[in-house]
Amino acid sequence: MIPASAILSPEVLREARHRERRVAWQQTRIAWLFIAPAVIMVTVFLLAPVVFNVVLSFTKWQKFTGLDQFAGFNNYARLFRVPYFSEALGNTAFWVVGAVIFPLAVGLGLALLLRNIPFQETFKSLYFLPRVLAPTAVGAIWYYVYTPHGVLNSVISGVTGSPFDFGWLYSSDTVTGSVIVTFVWQTLGITMVLLLLGLAAIPRDPIEAARVDGASSGQIFRHIIWPLLLPTVLVVTILNVAAGFTTFDLLWVMAGDYPGKRTLSLAVYMYYESFSNGAWAYGSAVAVVLGAMVITVSALLAVVQSRVSKNIR
Amino acid sequence: MAVDITDRQFIADLIEKERRAQRSGGRWLVVPILAMTIAYLTPLYYLFVTVFKTSEEYARKGVLELPDSFAPIIDNAVQAWTIAHLGEAAMNSFSYALVGAVLAVAFAAAAAYGMTRLNLLGANGWFMLIFTGTLFPFQMYLVPLLFGYQRVGLVNTWFGMLLVYVAICIPFPLLVLRNSFSSITREVDEAARIEGASEWRVFISMIVPNAVGPMIALFLLQFTFIWNDLLFSSILANGIEVRSVMVALQSLQGTYSALGPNVVITATLISSIPTVLLFIALRKYFMAGLQLGTK
Repeated sequence: MIPASAILSPEVLREARHRERRVAWQQTRIAWLFIAPAVIMVTVFLLAPVVFNVVLSFTKWQKFTGLDQFAGFNNYARLFRVPYFSEALGNTAFWVVGAVIFPLAVGLGLALLLRNIPFQETFKSLYFLPRVLAPTAVGAIWYYVYTPHGVLNSVISGVTGSPFDFGWLYSSDTVTGSVIVTFVWQTLGITMVLLLLGLAAIPRDPIEAARVDGASSGQIFRHIIWPLLLPTVLVVTILNVAAGFTTFDLLWVMAGDYPGKRTLSLAVYMYYESFSNGAWAYGSAVAVVLGAMVITVSALLAVVQSRVSKNIR
Repeated sequence: MAVDITDRQFIADLIEKERRAQRSGGRWLVVPILAMTIAYLTPLYYLFVTVFKTSEEYARKGVLELPDSFAPIIDNAVQAWTIAHLGEAAMNSFSYALVGAVLAVAFAAAAAYGMTRLNLLGANGWFMLIFTGTLFPFQMYLVPLLFGYQRVGLVNTWFGMLLVYVAICIPFPLLVLRNSFSSITREVDEAARIEGASEWRVFISMIVPNAVGPMIALFLLQFTFIWNDLLFSSILANGIEVRSVMVALQSLQGTYSALGPNVVITATLISSIPTVLLFIALRKYFMAGLQLGTK
């Protein structure tokens, strides 16, 4: 019998390793061809602009004058000097909280209601439909829901019996809330579908056992359903947080005539400063702040989500 | 309490009681569900009564009243069509969405193949590089893209608009397809390779056919995204020959518009037809696609 060490002499091993590497390189070179289109497109049109956006935010760039001197933190300092930014920031916070809480609360209620009824699929599709419509189209419809002689006021006058013609989108007290309602209308369907999937995955045995032991529906929800549903709830939260931070189309279309529209959210403020005012560098600084907030909050939520799902498994 | 589970009568009673409780519970649920559904559908009902009204009729009647006849929709559509050049805009958006979504999914599939089936050195690094493209809000792309496009003359061009859509639609499909490709057994392509098939052949005839479902779902998602986009097209391509259907729709709406709500709402309906038809025809893929995003 020949000992293994005789076959696997250092020379043979080295030769084998060389061949392995050659093959690996060969495959890597072929693989480069496969990934090249995606890598080039993403680098040129997404990643390079992000880097350039950060650089731009430290310059004095104006669309028409083209001054590109280094300006240090001037643009960022200006953020805190103008009242518009803090107002936009406050409204964005309102948006994020509203975009998370309302779809979840209503969607969860609806999912629990729809769970055990016939025609569930039909209801699901009906609630899902607005998600397919463009925010621009949804905004156009809801614009006429909120106009003084629109749908909402006519329903209110019909119920109360006295004429009512409040301009929901023209008052700073109601404009953000009104657009959030529209956002909920559009996102309720997908939120509900995801929650129904989460509910369907919850095993029935512990619920039956708790019911036999005399637990109330509230107790069952709090101690069994909610903890098991939490990972799904957090996934929905992550999706809606990002949407709340960056929603632009709905606000721009619905609140186009609102005099203070630039402060409706950071996304709108960035667009307004960059493209209506031509303050490119300043708009870039707003975009950087917005990006930093979205990424930080999403990352924190992602960490929480992975912890929670690990605990359940 | 001791229960004799062999007592048939007792068990039958228990099952009957449970069923009755469920049924009566179910009957009560119908009320809130119906009330909520009616409220939910009111804006869509408003859309369907409004497209059949003339401007005069709209001003005279209550907003939720039924129209006199179906005929005015033709005149409304003609007005929206001519004033906003809706036909041209719809053709533009259709070509952006179709070509853009096909290219994006194809590029993503090729990249996913390179990362999962070939011994690509640093595959994870490449993946992270592309995945980074999903992290930033779109607001961070806008100014640099417009600036760069002005330098190279791509502003207000069909091709320039398409390039941005393709790039934006690559990272998410890559994420999904990377997962679905790695779940296909290795033996499939090893066998083909031993037979002497090129990598391109293995990709096209072994891997892609195994992931048709997710690819259709991803195509639908990206098609809808591009068709529905207002943000990018309003900045990079708002010229009348290249603008998207959403930019055209937005130009009709608002207080500065002289058009009646009946015309604007008709334009809204027209611009929503393609995605709604796709949704109705391919509902299963759509639902599957939107759930992809959460795994």
